[in-house]
Amino acid sequence: MAEGDRGRVLVVDDEAVIREGCQRILSKNGWEVVTAADGSEGLSLAGEDPAGLEVVLLDLKMPGISGMEVLERLLEMDPSLPVVVITGYATVDSAVEAMKKGAYDFIPKPFTPDQLRLVVERAAEKRRLEREAERLRQEAARTLRDVATEKGRVLTIINCMADGVLVTDHEGRVALTNPAATRLLGIGQGGEILGRPVEEVLPREELQRAVREALEASRETAISQEIQEGDSLIRAHTAPVRDEEGRVMGTVTVLQDLSYVLELDRMKGEFIAMVSHELRSPVSAIEQSLGAVLAAEELPGRARHFLERAKERARGLIELINDLLEISRIEAGVAIQRREPLQVDEVVRKAVELLQIEADKKGLDLRFKVKEPLPRVLGDSQGLEGVFTNLVGNAVKYTPAGGKVEVLVEAEGDYVKVTVKDTGVGVPKEDLPRIFDKFYRSRTEGTREIIGTGLGLSIAKATVEAHLGKIDVESEVGKGTTFTVLLPSSSS
Amino acid sequence: MARILLVDDDPDFVEAVAAILEGKGHEVVKAYDGDEGLEKVKEERPDLIVLDVMMPRMDGYAVCKELKADPQYRSIPVLLLTAVAAKIPTTRYTQQMGMETEADDYIDKPVEPEELVKRVEVLLGK
Repeated sequence: MAEGDRGRVLVVDDEAVIREGCQRILSKNGWEVVTAADGSEGLSLAGEDPAGLEVVLLDLKMPGISGMEVLERLLEMDPSLPVVVITGYATVDSAVEAMKKGAYDFIPKPFTPDQLRLVVERAAEKRRLEREAERLRQEAARTLRDVATEKGRVLTIINCMADGVLVTDHEGRVALTNPAATRLLGIGQGGEILGRPVEEVLPREELQRAVREALEASRETAISQEIQEGDSLIRAHTAPVRDEEGRVMGTVTVLQDLSYVLELDRMKGEFIAMVSHELRSPVSAIEQSLGAVLAAEELPGRARHFLERAKERARGLIELINDLLEISRIEAGVAIQRREPLQVDEVVRKAVELLQIEADKKGLDLRFKVKEPLPRVLGDSQGLEGVFTNLVGNAVKYTPAGGKVEVLVEAEGDYVKVTVKDTGVGVPKEDLPRIFDKFYRSRTEGTREIIGTGLGLSIAKATVEAHLGKIDVESEVGKGTTFTVLLPSSSS
Repeated sequence: MARILLVDDDPDFVEAVAAILEGKGHEVVKAYDGDEGLEKVKEERPDLIVLDVMMPRMDGYAVCKELKADPQYRSIPVLLLTAVAAKIPTTRYTQQMGMETEADDYIDKPVEPEELVKRVEVLLGK
């Protein structure tokens, strides 16, 4: 080992033999050795850089400042500095006294090189361990500081959020709320509610129940609900918080104020009414005029054909305007869709009844079947009615006279399944993946003359998906098409 | 044949619907807003009123409500013309609104000539 690698050892002794002996022995072992012939020289050497010393070998009996005093002053500089006192045989008592004062060890004179090496090794090891311990202490302190900073940051974020946050522990006691939650729910703050069970704090039974359900939830669930609290409509999401082993540690409820969404919706409603009038009215007038001409006048064959076609196209344009308004309503309105418990069969029945006349006119066999019992579904009855009117309407539209349209409502697992099956023209395989796209229309021999906007199915899909449901299609050209809609039951 | 009052703020629309009804031999009295419609009811004593829902100022619902509240005119059947943004849901909605305003029937606008003539005949037959 090269000289000086292992650190610096200070030898303070008035006997040159000892100083040189120590220097020789320790240098061989890789220590850098500095020596002092008396206490004051030793102290001034140590004072230059006490932390840079690994071990001090200190003779107790020296002229000038006594070894005891040097010991005290060294330990004042650096309390963890290992000082090994060198004593004669006759002065074991003073060695003991030095130990009491904080010396680390002692070595009696005369000593062998091995004894010296051993005692220095031990003292250096102690120094190393203490340094390591100090480093760890500082690290721990820094981590604690970081945690405190992080905690403060998270708290600031939570407190600044416009959405309300309410956290409970695993027994359903309030652990944290932010000002937004306090304001939205009109509940007390901080100490007034902390540690109290949700039943005593939360104004609404639905919220209390959501917290309890989340605490007992066996799988990853989030309970989402809308509640009217005073003037505001609040959407509340409640979810369990789990530890690494999946145990429920508490719940978090996030509260969103939807009032502004309602206000936006009202403005949009006004806009839609405006557009619907300004855009629809002229086209309606065109269609109506063509209708009047066709109803009253004697027309040469080709003229009648063109006017009829023009009237159909105008009608198609009106439907497109309707659909565009509808889709903008859904796209913007998904967020505030009303959810109420529904019997899906009743919603489907309305759609079927609405299309019965058209089916009769066309000579179609339109059948409606319900398999009881059916679970309820949380949903928007108007939106879903639109979906089924569209699906049954399509089936009626694309099924030739004499064909059959079957509508079936049944339970399937946690879902309610609605099947609309027709014996119509069918959809070519290559078109199937795209039929839910906006403005996509399958063009085949039998469908070219049928006016449609290509928006109906994309509206249906958006609506079903807003209900967390699924819509699917199977079809064979010339045989027919089957649409299936799955809607999650309200209990799942 | 009957005297029918047609109220709509779109003159072209009024013209076309009038042509359909006149084609069936009815006499058509025209009005272009709610106030004028109410006036014409009093002056002309129609047998039936075909009334557009969406009109500026006084809309069809309001006209209908006022007529149905007046014992003198309550018996005149009212056919509401509905033309609202979204197809099915709002049709049902206006249908309900129509019921609340005691309209005797409703029909989507633009109207199929055949359908209109049929509804008008049913209402006149009452």
